Amino acid sequence: MLRRSHTATLELDETYTANFDTEPYECGWASEAAWFVRVIELANGAMLTAVPQWSPDGLHWCDLEGAAPLQLTAPGLRGRALRDFGGWLRLRCHLTGAAPRVRLMIHLSLKE
Amino acid sequence: MAVLRRADPRLSKFNPLPRILCCDDFDDGINGWTQLIGNYDDDLGQVKPMVRDLRPAQLSNCTFFDVGSHGSVDGVYALKLATRPRTGASCYLIKRLTYAARTIVQVECYFTCKAEANFDPALKGPQQFDGNYHPSESMFGDFTVGNDVCDGADGKRYLCALRYQNTDFEGRFVRKWLYKTSLHATTRMQVRGAPAPEDIHTLRRDDWEEVPGGDFPLCSNEIPTKINWHYLRWQFDLAARRNVELQVNDRVMDLRQIPVPAYPDPYHGLDRLLNVYFDVRTHLPARNFLFLDSVLISADW
Repeated sequence: MLRRSHTATLELDETYTANFDTEPYECGWASEAAWFVRVIELANGAMLTAVPQWSPDGLHWCDLEGAAPLQLTAPGLRGRALRDFGGWLRLRCHLTGAAPRVRLMIHLSLKE
Repeated sequence: MAVLRRADPRLSKFNPLPRILCCDDFDDGINGWTQLIGNYDDDLGQVKPMVRDLRPAQLSNCTFFDVGSHGSVDGVYALKLATRPRTGASCYLIKRLTYAARTIVQVECYFTCKAEANFDPALKGPQQFDGNYHPSESMFGDFTVGNDVCDGADGKRYLCALRYQNTDFEGRFVRKWLYKTSLHATTRMQVRGAPAPEDIHTLRRDDWEEVPGGDFPLCSNEIPTKINWHYLRWQFDLAARRNVELQVNDRVMDLRQIPVPAYPDPYHGLDRLLNVYFDVRTHLPARNFLFLDSVLISADW
């Protein structure tokens, strides 16, 4: 059988004005993952920093060692490939700036 | 044919009609259960609030913080519907088909449902843990199985919806199966000026009536990290545009007399539409989950 793959849209045209975490997403069946963050709008002077995190249970979280954060200071698309990530993934997203506001899409692409 | 089905463990746990349209074992993947989204004209900002954040499908090995992985009925993975931890939030997954004859269609599944383990004392209900009852039982809101059927521009469009309401929005136990009594507010209706709905299935929150014989609890099993799987079988009739019956474990509810509201206007672009969906909704700022071990859809065409 061909290798299974699945793309989940974790944030669908959402707007945030403060820090947020993506919802816990189960990925124990996958051996490869790729985060994609597409910023549609970002307030002037604002920066979005998305830190990959992992978890044993979907309740307790820590940063995923060796996974560099994604940083965006303008609209655009950034991606981050991951391996060795256990059973759960999320992004811890920090918004900085005087009046931060971001409108975005976030996808998680998984592959066996 | 029946002997062959009984010999296959995947099929022998179901009672399919002659034509199996899909036998979705979620050990094999998500199998076409996709997130619902409302209609829009190029700009995602146009999607109506009720149908813009219905959450993606997940494959879950049913892992919990205390015992680790629970697994599914006869494998590792289940399809997981998970809400955000926000009052009224839903997850809604849909299988998009069309029909080849106006006959009986049957949906079967093995399901379980839970509120997420939660350590926020502010969310506890009035009834305290007693060794058998756990407060998380009243933190699960409701789940629904239903369809969206359209004959085409020369026929009718209608949606059946059967909801298991565990609690009301005040956290009081209901523990009943309900059927809806008003239309789902389509994007088309809202574009034409209909008010924003209070429920994804109905125009108003209370447009639900009790299913005769549908007053019973599920096996919630005492704490939020023990899951027990239930058998569900639901039949509907494409010729009569009605429900037929709903079975949950040994309880069979006759649905033939239950009215199903149909849209007064024809819908174009939905010729022979046959969608089946499951959704789960939380009534509290706590995640609610619906797990499906497997789903089998069959028909007698």
